[in-house]
Amino acid sequence: MNGLRWYLLRRLVLLLFVTAAVLTILFVMFKLLPGNPLSVFIDSNFSEEMIRRQKQLWGLDAPLWLQYVRYMWNMLTFSFGTSFFQMTPVRDIVIEKLLHTAAMIVPAVVLSVVLGALLGSWLGWRRGSRQEGAVVVGLLALRSVPSFFVGIIVLMVFSYNLGWFPPGGMVSIGGQGDSFLETILSLDFLHHLILPCLVLMTREITSPALLLRSTMLEVKGSDFLDILRAKGLPERRIVMHATRNALLPLVTDVAVMMGFLFQGQVLLEIIFAWPGVGRELVAALNDLDYPVAQACFFVMALIILLFNFVADVLYAFIDPRVALS
Amino acid sequence: MTSAHPVAERGGTAGRGIFSRVAHALRVIVRYPTGAIGLFLLALFVIVALIGPLIAPYGPFDVVRTPQGGVARLVPPGSVALLGTTNQGSDVLSQLLYGTRVALLVGVIAAVGSVVLGTMIGLVSGYAGGKVDEAIMRFTDVAFGIPFLPFALIVISVAGASLPLVILLVTLFLWRTTSRVIRAQVLTLKTRPFVWAARAAGASESRILFVHIAPNVLPLSFLYMAIGVQGGVMLEAALSFLGFGDPNVMSWGGMLNQSFRAGAMRSAWWWVIPPGVALSLFVISVFMVTRAYEELLNPRMREA
Repeated sequence: MNGLRWYLLRRLVLLLFVTAAVLTILFVMFKLLPGNPLSVFIDSNFSEEMIRRQKQLWGLDAPLWLQYVRYMWNMLTFSFGTSFFQMTPVRDIVIEKLLHTAAMIVPAVVLSVVLGALLGSWLGWRRGSRQEGAVVVGLLALRSVPSFFVGIIVLMVFSYNLGWFPPGGMVSIGGQGDSFLETILSLDFLHHLILPCLVLMTREITSPALLLRSTMLEVKGSDFLDILRAKGLPERRIVMHATRNALLPLVTDVAVMMGFLFQGQVLLEIIFAWPGVGRELVAALNDLDYPVAQACFFVMALIILLFNFVADVLYAFIDPRVALS
Repeated sequence: MTSAHPVAERGGTAGRGIFSRVAHALRVIVRYPTGAIGLFLLALFVIVALIGPLIAPYGPFDVVRTPQGGVARLVPPGSVALLGTTNQGSDVLSQLLYGTRVALLVGVIAAVGSVVLGTMIGLVSGYAGGKVDEAIMRFTDVAFGIPFLPFALIVISVAGASLPLVILLVTLFLWRTTSRVIRAQVLTLKTRPFVWAARAAGASESRILFVHIAPNVLPLSFLYMAIGVQGGVMLEAALSFLGFGDPNVMSWGGMLNQSFRAGAMRSAWWWVIPPGVALSLFVISVFMVTRAYEELLNPRMREA
């Protein structure tokens, strides 16, 4: 247990270190790169005095180290300031967009994992057959097609040509519920969700399927299956027993996948006009709304780091050998 | 790692053997049907990238005229333009041909750059061990903590879009995986007997690293270079699609961006499908080649 505790502590320190480093890079980026965020806000009609006062307001007259300390404090306490253009607290904007993104990702991940696991256990069981080889290559090839092009094709076919699904957005105009929960529980939302969810799944189903296929092979050789077989259980029941044992490594895979998707879905959010955090980042950059862009970037990075941390921790619990090495 | 030992035993001749080893790898890849098809497609892409601008009927931004002299806007594929025209009256086929060069340029430069960087970092980190290794690995952890696409979008929006910047950003994204894989490989290699033998014979540390160990990780580096070309092309397309590519060149992603914004999904399929198909076909052909090459490197995959 001591080794496990030590391992968790190390991982936690690493998480804090990397978060601080990423924040510092973000700070340096905005300070050093050519192009001045202030110039977006400040009109050429501003007098020297107005510019000075604006700088003071934003703390830009302070020495660099003090700006850095304030910036780190603000970021870590999620005080992102006010949007240049929407004039609302950035925190509120980001939280809302994050929920929207999650509303697309979570169902896609859950479905990918469930269907991927089923497919993978079937593949592992049918190891060496012709179907198995074809499905594996098909999955890998499908994953290598850029998902934003898949999204475009799907939209062209099912939305513009067949008219089965809306051409984007999260709900119809006026379809917004009173609360977030009410919105995502509506049929209208489901109707909008299906296409982007399917496109995400074409990518994300591969890794659980392949993972389960290989773990299944290990489990397949173990003794307890022979005992079940000797008991006379039908093959179908034996596959179920084997699958349950092969599921554990999947847990960490899901955590990594979730984290990655929070940044990877930017393109899909643009194509499906999904009002998520990635689309907000692109919009903020186009509007030069730097406080919003900074916050979007930070929460995306933070989510990836947190999910990776969770994956490491879960892995240590599932396979204690990791913590000891 | 079938070729590990012969190379190591020949020691300093590793540099000379590179071409024959590449030729050997190509022969093995061609033996797999997928590898042969992939290689054929890739060769086509390379040829188009080289001579595309020569055979393109127009420049990427030229305006095509109808026989009556008007601007040929959104003309479907036919006699005016083989693959139709855009809403600005540009020739889709010409943009596609020019775009191939842009894609390969970004992919190849970024892949080579990132693999050189990643291999060097992985070699030093794995071989040095101790504090150096620890420092480099934490640095890699930080690099892995940065979400690439958002990061690239911010840098480009602040510094201005240009092709060299895109290449630089893609390189900075791709080296991370290479360095981790190479480091892991070096960790196992440095405990092999041929390394002890070299040390016992009085070889210096840098000689052991660059003459004895490095040639043995090169096959892996090549694999990651191929994967890197694929990644580079995809990332450039993604950035351009989001409108953050170099506005002065026309890439596949840039074509998709313009057709997407012009609503061509609704009305002009010939403007949307070609760049998307070219991109997908390129990515899949690299995938087919790397898969065959991986089986060459890892015989266990073959019997699996």
